[in-house]
Amino acid sequence: MEELLEQLADILEIDEIKPQDEFESFEDWDSLSVLSIIAMVQSKYKIVLTATEVRNSKTAQGLFELIKNKG
Amino acid sequence: MTLYNPMDLTGKTIVITGAASGIGKATAILLSKLNANLILLDINEKGLNDTKSQCKPDDFIGTVDLTDESAVETILKEAVSIRGKVNGFAHIAGIPSIAPIKAITKKEAQRILEINTLPALYLAKILSNKKYKAEESCSFVLISSVYANVGSSANVLYTMSKAAIQGITKSLAIEFAPKKIRVNCVAPGFIKTQMGEKINHFFDSEHDTLIESMHPLGLGTPEDIANSIAFLLSDASKWTTGAIFNIDGGFCAQ
Repeated sequence: MEELLEQLADILEIDEIKPQDEFESFEDWDSLSVLSIIAMVQSKYKIVLTATEVRNSKTAQGLFELIKNKG
Repeated sequence: MTLYNPMDLTGKTIVITGAASGIGKATAILLSKLNANLILLDINEKGLNDTKSQCKPDDFIGTVDLTDESAVETILKEAVSIRGKVNGFAHIAGIPSIAPIKAITKKEAQRILEINTLPALYLAKILSNKKYKAEESCSFVLISSVYANVGSSANVLYTMSKAAIQGITKSLAIEFAPKKIRVNCVAPGFIKTQMGEKINHFFDSEHDTLIESMHPLGLGTPEDIANSIAFLLSDASKWTTGAIFNIDGGFCAQ
């Protein structure tokens, strides 16, 4: 989880993200962030996510659960 | 009276990379109908066998990783010993890459170049050598993309690899003109292929509609690109070299 939080913070260009923070609350959350997350997850975890799945995951915790369930 | 066909490829031996699926497969089937002898290369053996079943029985198939230059030369050497010296190639193998700049890595950038771009150099280097090249007419065809001509978000690695193909085309066209080898390039718009399906998950469902709306003639088929490749490999294009053909349903006309 810690590694994922660091990668999400990097994508969203913020210092820190907490598991329950809503993606949409961040200024840099946009369609490119979704593509960045899909590319990052595919590269780091070899798991293929769809854009809809990433959007619906809502938070870092939600994304973590999604990756865990698809892994 | 025999029908006149300026795109007839009788007696010509042509190498096709990426022959197991999509544009490569459609090109193999079309060139076979034009009576070419084929050397079909891909990393996907099952797909190659399927393509061969729709071509001539004595066409050569070779399973090879195109990023391995020495393996490519070894298999071409074997193919030439069986099918004869080659009159041209079409480098069609390639992979997509969707990633915004903040998500890219040097490793991924190198991987995209190694698959999409560098084999064009290896193939041109090997097949321009007298050991492998037929004496008569010779034509090399490379595949770029409309995204080498227009910008596209989250597509920088693919764009880089396909823009490089256009540069390679023009440089080699000049370098090879004294050897009577023509080098041309096809830049396709969006084609419905397995490669396209591999990146569908990146986008919402509205994306398909948006992409289709960017093509005045609608999305293309692998056969639309195969037709232009066949023209460039045939003597019908004998005064064409260093050209970039946008075969894109009007995408770049806007």
